[in-house]
Amino acid sequence: MIMVLGGAKRGEMVLEARGITKRFPGVLANDQIDFEIKAGEIHAILGENGAGKTTLMNILFGLLHPEEGEIHIRGERVKFKSPLDAINMGIGMVHQHRKLVSAHSAIENIILGHPSAGFILNVKKAEEEVQELCDRYGFKVDLRAKIWQLSEGEKQAVEILKALYRGAEILILDEPNSALTPQETEKLLESIEAMARDDLAIVPFITHKLPIVLGISHRVTVLRRGKVVACLETSRATEQSLAMQMVGREVIFRIEKTTVERGKPILQVENLSALSDKGFQALSDVSFTICEGEIFGLAGISGNGQQELVEVLAGIRNVHKGKVTLDGQDITHASSLDRWRRGIGYIPADRINVGSIPDFSLVENTAMNYFFDDRYSQHGIVDYKNMRKLTEEVIAEYGVAAPGPDTKAKNLSGGNLQKLILARVLSRNPRLVIADLPCQGLDVGATEFVQNKLMEAKKGKAGVLLISEDLDEILSMSDWVAVIYEGKFMGILPTGQAKKENVGAMMAGLSLKDNVT
Amino acid sequence: MKIGRNEFKMEKRATLSGWEAARISILAIIFALTLLSLLFILADVNPLIAYREIFSYAFFNPFGLPLTINRSIFLLLCTFAFIIPYKAGLWNIGMTGQLFAGSICAFAVVVALGGKEFSASPSPWLLIPLMLIAVILGGGALGAIAGFLKGRFNVNEIVTTMMLNFITFWLISFLIKEGGPFMKSGGEGQSFELPKSIFAPLIKGVPFTIIIAIGLAVLIYYLFAKTKIGYEIKAYGLSPAAARYAGIRISMIPLLAFILGGAIAGLAGYHYFAAVPGLYKIPKNYGEFGDLAFYGIICGLISQGNPLAAIPVALLFGGMSAGGRFVQGQLHMNFGVDYALLGVLMISLVAFQFFYRYKFERTQTNPDKERIDVGVHR
Repeated sequence: MIMVLGGAKRGEMVLEARGITKRFPGVLANDQIDFEIKAGEIHAILGENGAGKTTLMNILFGLLHPEEGEIHIRGERVKFKSPLDAINMGIGMVHQHRKLVSAHSAIENIILGHPSAGFILNVKKAEEEVQELCDRYGFKVDLRAKIWQLSEGEKQAVEILKALYRGAEILILDEPNSALTPQETEKLLESIEAMARDDLAIVPFITHKLPIVLGISHRVTVLRRGKVVACLETSRATEQSLAMQMVGREVIFRIEKTTVERGKPILQVENLSALSDKGFQALSDVSFTICEGEIFGLAGISGNGQQELVEVLAGIRNVHKGKVTLDGQDITHASSLDRWRRGIGYIPADRINVGSIPDFSLVENTAMNYFFDDRYSQHGIVDYKNMRKLTEEVIAEYGVAAPGPDTKAKNLSGGNLQKLILARVLSRNPRLVIADLPCQGLDVGATEFVQNKLMEAKKGKAGVLLISEDLDEILSMSDWVAVIYEGKFMGILPTGQAKKENVGAMMAGLSLKDNVT
Repeated sequence: MKIGRNEFKMEKRATLSGWEAARISILAIIFALTLLSLLFILADVNPLIAYREIFSYAFFNPFGLPLTINRSIFLLLCTFAFIIPYKAGLWNIGMTGQLFAGSICAFAVVVALGGKEFSASPSPWLLIPLMLIAVILGGGALGAIAGFLKGRFNVNEIVTTMMLNFITFWLISFLIKEGGPFMKSGGEGQSFELPKSIFAPLIKGVPFTIIIAIGLAVLIYYLFAKTKIGYEIKAYGLSPAAARYAGIRISMIPLLAFILGGAIAGLAGYHYFAAVPGLYKIPKNYGEFGDLAFYGIICGLISQGNPLAAIPVALLFGGMSAGGRFVQGQLHMNFGVDYALLGVLMISLVAFQFFYRYKFERTQTNPDKERIDVGVHR
């Protein structure tokens, strides 16, 4: 009954792209890219942000049309007019930003748009078939559950199941391991390998987390600036060599952690509670202290109250209960602007919608943290001349790749945008840096840069609150590790005593006492 | 797309200079006039003669030119009333209501100080400034309602401003009709006339409000180009979440933008009902001015929120509405030329904004394969 196994046999070439070229105004996004994959193969595509991965992915899925080059599927030349053509040719896409109807159940999402789903839905039959797929590849999803009730990993499984159920033989995975816990990642990798054993061709697109690529893929293609710089058997690659290919220079993986003598407390949070937008208790009874020269790492899966905590500290969400002091002064009810002035520097997780204004120039974006500063505005008049000079300085100092200070922020890549935000915030010499997912979605080079800059801030006696889902990052950067789960701190411990497994278990809701063995 | 040896290709523009935008707008105007000439031909009128009449009446005729200027000043003020909230990402559909509210306040001031009495001649030095303050406060207050509701409770400003329009519309009706406090003695369904002593001063026959309008153009330009508050409004307009992040008090911005917008709309009310020669009252057909006020939205959109660019646009629209009405009678046309003109111009200008974002490139498949631009679109 199941159409998992298409015509292709193991080792047969299922997809071949030759000389793919695509231009955007001012950018050559894909330049003569060759790519091929055989049935049963896992062929990863690696590249930094802006290397042309997304363009290639969209071309393979029929969302964009290449200007030059050909795509062959099972030896037949194809031209996709839309993703529907691609789907009908057996290509399945698992988006990084899930495209599911959150009020519908998993199974409803899976059969949505399926050709056999006619006017009257036979959910029961579909459910049996999908359940079979689940069992075969080890996906544990309650098919009757609504999407909003599912975790990130489960939602991803639903997307994969949807593609498989449509009969995909070539599965494109966009950043498959972002936003997953270590345990979920482990399960995902097992499922991917099981699918490959069933002769599916799998193409994961990856910007970071190189070890995962090395772990399961057979071949790797590395893109840099729109070109293929390497295509090799994974067994012949190392983490270092791949990173070097991606970035074009050597990358040091271990960030050098410097210990700074612990100074006086900067931020003190006592029994803090806050409500979510919907009025639920999102943060309950949280207490901690951050001192001069230390990085306080907060681990946890997104949506467990981190955002509420950060917003309360930044002054853009009201405190429900509790007290916050900065350098001994009560700032529990201080306004956001007041906190900027007192030396809180906030790097938001959402750099496109919150941390920057895409239609503003870089000068105006820099002004976001300076327009209230007496050095840059007097008597209600903004000194744009001076602001421009400042922008030129920070662009140069932080190596933001941009044509000039008048470029609009929307023309910057993710990494460069983050550099600009970092530059803007850190150049204020804040006492406390709140870095919310500062490296999320960044490539290896930019991640290294951001981490080093945070380390520098620490050396400059600032306190840093680092929020991340990436355990490796937390453990390598911080002096203290706290884990947040459903709005509560599961424990705070010095990094020296934190083991990856323990912290991972705490992220999943087990308290420290339960899982220490 | 291929036509003969030429291949046309659509490309996204990375940037657009002010001159390019102006050129595209002029093309749009030519296109609209060409389109409308079909209507004239259908009505057995030579379009060239019709346009000559329209333009010469609107811009060169001693009776038409003042009409054009007065309408343009009114339109310009309505445009500014739209632009300021527009920069904050908000849509002011309530210029009509705001200008009526301002006018009501100004006339109330006159009534309160006894100016309604026959033979009264109150001091202009007192009353004219008071009337100006009254229109600003009245228009600003009506704007404030929408701005406050938006900022505090996130109530859709389009709906509130629209509904406030109806309220003020009927309020005026109540005030000027039979038995109303602003009624002209003897009824007639219009307001009393302002006493001669407080007619707004004229500069070469043009009401002094022209200075207010042009001054505001410069001031608003400066507001958004240089000032902190202008920066905050723009930031909020493009991204409220980012503005909040930057420490801007985001509940205050809509309030502020609508107070400013409403106050300027109030001035538009003062201009037409207290400063344009020959009127000096709230006439029976006051609703028509309300309709004209909506063209402030169009002018604001066409000038892309740039108050200086709004000046020629308002002049064009003011002129076309005056000239169109004139030729309609002159050439015995059986349809409303003025609103047909405005309508087609508006559609054409808005449609041509497509070229703000895209351009066509023509490549000739000559052996030398040289790229040639279509010229006009670049």
